[in-house]
Amino acid sequence: MTEKILARVAGVPAVRAGDEILARPDFVIAYDFPGYTDVFFKEAKEEFGVDKVPSPERFVLFIDHMVPAAAPKEEELHKITRAWGKEQGVPVHEREGIGHQVSAELGYATPGAFAVHFDGHVSQLGAFGTLAMGARKSVLETFVSERMALVVPGTVKIEVTGTVQPGVMARDIFHHLVRVMGPSSCRFKVVELCGPVIDAMSIEGRQTICGQAMFLGATTMLIAPDAKTLEYAKGRAKIALDPVYPDADAHYDRVVTVDVSNLAPIVVAPPSPANTRDLTEYAGLEVHMGYLGSCASGRLEDLRVAAQVLKGRKIKPGFQLHVVPTSQAIMSQAASEGLISTLVDAGAFISSSSCDYCYGRIATMTDGQRAVSTGTLNTPGRMGSADSEIFICNAAVVAASALEGCITDPRPYLSNTEGSAA
Amino acid sequence: MTLPTLHGRAAWVFTEDDYDIDLIVGIKNIKITDINELAAVTMTSYDPDFAQSVNKGDLLVGGQNFGYGHPHYPAMRAMRHLGVAGVIAESFSPGFFRGEISMGFPLITCPGIRAATQRWDTLQVDWERGVVVNQRTGQTLPFEPWSSTERATIEAGGFTPYLKARLARERAAAAAAAA
Repeated sequence: MTEKILARVAGVPAVRAGDEILARPDFVIAYDFPGYTDVFFKEAKEEFGVDKVPSPERFVLFIDHMVPAAAPKEEELHKITRAWGKEQGVPVHEREGIGHQVSAELGYATPGAFAVHFDGHVSQLGAFGTLAMGARKSVLETFVSERMALVVPGTVKIEVTGTVQPGVMARDIFHHLVRVMGPSSCRFKVVELCGPVIDAMSIEGRQTICGQAMFLGATTMLIAPDAKTLEYAKGRAKIALDPVYPDADAHYDRVVTVDVSNLAPIVVAPPSPANTRDLTEYAGLEVHMGYLGSCASGRLEDLRVAAQVLKGRKIKPGFQLHVVPTSQAIMSQAASEGLISTLVDAGAFISSSSCDYCYGRIATMTDGQRAVSTGTLNTPGRMGSADSEIFICNAAVVAASALEGCITDPRPYLSNTEGSAA
Repeated sequence: MTLPTLHGRAAWVFTEDDYDIDLIVGIKNIKITDINELAAVTMTSYDPDFAQSVNKGDLLVGGQNFGYGHPHYPAMRAMRHLGVAGVIAESFSPGFFRGEISMGFPLITCPGIRAATQRWDTLQVDWERGVVVNQRTGQTLPFEPWSSTERATIEAGGFTPYLKARLARERAAAAAAAA
């Protein structure tokens, strides 16, 4: 799939892994952040004399960090971003949610398209069959020229099989892949994800998994589009493209099959996203804060499962539960389903969509505190003090832990229903 | 344009795989923008005298998948300020690799380097032969070549100057073709 998509955007009949190509991204996606977009804006003008970005219709910017601004300097950055968008004819989406999610809602996750961002979590557009890469500073190249130099990556195919147990979500499946394959197993490769478990999985679950590709060492991850994704993309897609599928005789660097039948909910213990452990090892460990949100997990299925756990119950006094739906559209849908009032009644603090909880800009922890989190990373200090700890887990685990004030297996709270949201 | 001379002491050997470079300055410090302030906290949790003991041209040695996680720029900015000239590791995480090469900072992928190096060994990258030489032991280890863009980026001293030169060349070629 990767080679077909990259051949099209390089304007050549075929490319092979290892080829150096100049590719024209269909979409250039970014959020404003100091040292990134402000530098691109400035360098494009001052260093390269480019007053207008080439083909501005390919660009989209999000204001999703430092929202709302807490200091004049932060708001100044947003002001610069808005002005740049206006001057360049580039849309700036502000306060609509986390860009990686909103870009899918807006149709930038066109199946078969090639998208770039400086941030690697853009890989979650791969849930729709979009090849989406984090390219760091190379994004500057797209601000000053049509094309971007890159080496065609090889592909690792991961087939996920088995029966998903109740209480196990996409989040658990991803971190299990890291556990069995290793955090560097897919370095510099694209992961093509497939198999019956993925076929049966919701779009949201697929976004969760694809967005975390970097923690397998991968450049990005993608899934061949199916009826579900094409239905989602229909009417949204920003450009007309034929979806791309793998050839029956496609070459893979490696093909791995992972059976998840015996998988139970996991936690990723500090200090690294490579540290996948069985939840039972940590059950009972006192936690003080819960974060349900981020570009990885904060979608409807996450909110629904949390509401299922919390309905009619109260979170433990003193425990801080922050619920941050990934986008405003998700917030609105959650409100109409009654999920928001269920969560609020249980004692959750609900915030409008923002990236800021994920890196401790708000809801900061102090020394000795511990969080259960659906954020992206658990490095010490990511959510405040370097002497605080983050345990990554699925949304049901966050909700159950909020009730008991310690790391808690959510399955008893889900046992009256199907439970599995994966 | 030429590749930089990499010939210096191993100022630190990171023994961990999947090392998160944010820990070099400490995550609580990654928002520090003043480079002197940042340099002062660099590696303090490993060796309080690190900043004083580094010489210009020293190198770092790392394990597998060095730069795993969310590799922010401050750690290597601080290292460059202290005089560190490059990192030689078993392998690098792609995001970190791409980000630092774009800063014009050489990252050398050299399987076997971690076991072959003790702190303060003098290492030399021999571009001609494609090997890293440990001058204490005499051992040579081949390193993996860069792509032509990566090599040109390092030669130019960073992505911005590389891109400027490339676009100027392309414009000149287009003008010549049109003439």
